Amino acid sequence: MSRPLNKELVRIKIVAGAMLAGLLLLGGVLWHEQVVKGQEYKHSLDRQSMRRVRLPAVRGLILDRNGICLARNRPSYCIAMYVEELRKPGRREKTVEEVDRLIVELSELLEIPREVDRDDIRKHLRISMPMPFLAWRGISEEVLSRWSERTVRQRGIDVYVEPVREYPQGHTLGHVLGYVRRADPPEDLEFPYHYYLAEMEGGEGIEKSMNEKLCGESGGRLIRVDASGFRHEEMAERDPREGRNLVLTIDSEIQKIAEEVLEDVRGAAIILDPRNGDVIAMASAPSFDPNVFVPRIPHDAWNRLNTDSRLPLFNRCISGTYPPGSTFKPLVALAALDSGTVTSAEKLACPGYFDLGKARFHCWNRRGHGKLAMRKAIEQSCNAYFCRLGLECGYEHIFRAAYRIGYGRRTGIELRGEARGLLPGDAWKRRARGDAWRSGDTCNVSIGQGALAVTPLQMAVLTATVANGGQLYRPRLVMGESSRGELIQHVGWSSKSLSLVKGGMYDVMQAETGTGKRGRIDAVAMGGKTGSAEYGPKLSNGKRKKHVWMTVFAPFATPRYAVAMVVEDGTSGGITVAPRIRELMTGIFELESTRKSGRGTGRGA
Amino acid sequence: MTIKDRVLRFIRRMNWPMIIVMAMALVLGVLFIYSSCYIREEQPVRSFYKRQIMWIALGAVCYGICAGYDFRRLVRSGGVLYAACIVLLLLVLVMGKRIYGARRWLMLVGGIGIQPSELAKLATLIFFARLLSLPEINLRQLKTFFTMLGVLALPVVLILRQPDLGTAMAFIPPAFIMMYVAGVPLRYLLSVVMLGVLVAGLILGALVLTDNENLSEETRAKIQKTIPLGEYQQDRLKVLLWPDRDPLGAGWNKNQSEIAVGSGGMWGKGFLKGTQNILGFLPRSVAPTDFIYSVIAEEKGFAGSAFVLCLFGAVVVLGCRVALFTPDRMGRLLCVGIVAMVFCHVWINIAMTVGLMPITGLPLPLLSYGGSFLIMTMSSLGILQSVYARSPRRLLG
Repeated sequence: MSRPLNKELVRIKIVAGAMLAGLLLLGGVLWHEQVVKGQEYKHSLDRQSMRRVRLPAVRGLILDRNGICLARNRPSYCIAMYVEELRKPGRREKTVEEVDRLIVELSELLEIPREVDRDDIRKHLRISMPMPFLAWRGISEEVLSRWSERTVRQRGIDVYVEPVREYPQGHTLGHVLGYVRRADPPEDLEFPYHYYLAEMEGGEGIEKSMNEKLCGESGGRLIRVDASGFRHEEMAERDPREGRNLVLTIDSEIQKIAEEVLEDVRGAAIILDPRNGDVIAMASAPSFDPNVFVPRIPHDAWNRLNTDSRLPLFNRCISGTYPPGSTFKPLVALAALDSGTVTSAEKLACPGYFDLGKARFHCWNRRGHGKLAMRKAIEQSCNAYFCRLGLECGYEHIFRAAYRIGYGRRTGIELRGEARGLLPGDAWKRRARGDAWRSGDTCNVSIGQGALAVTPLQMAVLTATVANGGQLYRPRLVMGESSRGELIQHVGWSSKSLSLVKGGMYDVMQAETGTGKRGRIDAVAMGGKTGSAEYGPKLSNGKRKKHVWMTVFAPFATPRYAVAMVVEDGTSGGITVAPRIRELMTGIFELESTRKSGRGTGRGA
Repeated sequence: MTIKDRVLRFIRRMNWPMIIVMAMALVLGVLFIYSSCYIREEQPVRSFYKRQIMWIALGAVCYGICAGYDFRRLVRSGGVLYAACIVLLLLVLVMGKRIYGARRWLMLVGGIGIQPSELAKLATLIFFARLLSLPEINLRQLKTFFTMLGVLALPVVLILRQPDLGTAMAFIPPAFIMMYVAGVPLRYLLSVVMLGVLVAGLILGALVLTDNENLSEETRAKIQKTIPLGEYQQDRLKVLLWPDRDPLGAGWNKNQSEIAVGSGGMWGKGFLKGTQNILGFLPRSVAPTDFIYSVIAEEKGFAGSAFVLCLFGAVVVLGCRVALFTPDRMGRLLCVGIVAMVFCHVWINIAMTVGLMPITGLPLPLLSYGGSFLIMTMSSLGILQSVYARSPRRLLG
């Protein structure tokens, strides 16, 4: 009994010894840390403190396809207060008091009015204390020189440089670019601060949808400062990671032309490259200057933009939905031809209207077009012909063709806020109207009216797909690695039907009787289609308001541009839009030739 | 026996040196909890020290009860205590209060929460003392050893599920020390320890590999997946491996704690004058709890931190002395277990403060703010007193 007991006692002693040795080891480490190493930086450490300086990440540039800068950054000088160093013991209000007192003092010294109030200070203390509190942002050079002359010697205050976003092209491309806004840190963060959170975030447009790529990651630096603000040494640093640059598919010079063309109206114009889906221009009128949003939009400017009945902030290209009117007819023609139920040669009569039961669908030409075949019907945009065509081939075919091209769905372009539009069908009508699909609905959709609603972008996609022979590309704004674009599918229209429909569109532009003849230009042959879509209630003169359209592709033989343009409340596609198309296409091809000759001389010299 | 005799006997049977050491530690704790919180804006936080005094009063009652209760009866009911704690641990997983993503608290009426994992520490220890001192037990059998490991693993796994790695790890060393003292063959214990070291080594190795630039992104992601630790735990280990890597992010607490300790010097900056603490560089939420030692080290310097070490040295010596002079095997193992548990907390907490260990979130016994752990520690010391008081006279004299 006693031997095992003895052994046990020995083991207890061993354990006790080991524990004491462990404590001794800690004592040794403490001696080393506190006394040996502590001597090294002993001098007046108690009057010094650590300052965390934020190193903001520089946001990536946005360039157009030719390298023209659309969004960049400029330095802006701020007066920063490092609130942690100004803290007073006790209740938070004492610190607010101290910061407030300093702001008053500084505002007298630097002769600038104060920009922040006590609530701002309180909010900063509550949610982002370790970050510098920017009491003045974007101070002028005068103030900056006053600052350095009068050498403000006060603990916890310093000049801080922050990059500010700038859009050198002003109004141009405002809707696509969007803007940045100040990012408030989320209040419910587990850590009271998150040092690397970005200070700016995209508020709209590409800036928002590509924020992740553009924003980069901010860094920080730890420096030792003393009571007078003198920087002793850098303790640690984490480099900020710059945001990535973005190259857009936009050609900003063509964009400018498109915006000029739409200057006096409300409307939208989109130019796609039918060969790959690149968005060459995307103009929505009226536009806005994103610079007013940076760093923070003034209240009155915001109210003005928001209450403007012309909706300048609304990107009509992707968010506006309109009935397409007659610009939809080429798709109806293609669907009918490929369904095999009609032939292009079959002539249908147009007395100026089409009667379906009690309802009468008027042709725009009240006197009637007489008997016409498909190509002529497209050229003349005959409503009576297309009503009959739609009924003859059946709505199923039209619906399928429109669905395939992406109507009623988002195209998936790199912007938020894209509208789906509406491709009506039996299921939709039963759900929304509580009624079955009727022949009248088919007639309506066949001439691009009724509940059918599309975005200008969807219309441009249709035009591009017709132009390139049936290859459906996803429209893209950001230049990818390959120039090929994202092919969604071959739509599968037969080449015979395509060439007939394109022929009709050629006549629209080039024939003397064509509805789009006012859009014709001398240099290049084009194909196109006009459209006028009525909407809303009848006015006093018995007519309804119209959104007027035109879709165009050029050059006719090997299309490089597919255009969709809509003007709200116009007279008709041929009268309101065609001259603008003419102006736009003239501008584009003139630009092309000057570029070509410019490059030629450049090479020669 | 007169009343005077009884009082005298009672006083003689108290382990006065231990009580004095404990009282000193408690007073220090209250002082420095005050120091780390008086600057804070939030009224409830500023009065943490008052609540700590309340907890101490409650702890003193528990101390008295445990000291008066015969430890032999306590140990015999070890099984029941253990089972009750397992039930509580299961409950906390089901209906515990979630704070920062972990379920560790059971809310009682009146808004007071308890951490069952703290109670489980003591209960497991008592149950271990019970099992190891069973007369019919054969400690040399491998089967016995595995049974003991199972008993240990159950609460550990439950606490890992909360998740609370630090507390779960704190169970293991005291249990092993108890087994060693009881006479479980050293080779059994060492092989498990070696296994643990091996696993830890593998994890560290994998962590180093994920950082290797030469490997492809894919392989690194694959390796990352095999590491059975959460992201923040990996971050804390990385901070230990590469202290200068991310000083403003994951490395912040560690660096600030080390700066606080280092800047204390020999005599410190003075009570209530620690700038690291006042300026809020020490993470505020943990300054009065897990990082109380760095507040002491900053304000009282090496003198203060060494004094605290001495206090705990005294706890070790006095506690082991009780174990050595107790004729009862049950009591002996119990004392060793309690001393080992206190020691492990002290060692891990201080090692974390000076940067030898990853940040695990273990409190410093008797000094850190926090009710459950304080009451548990004081109850343990009460049990120690109970063993002491029931020893023969040679120890008392």
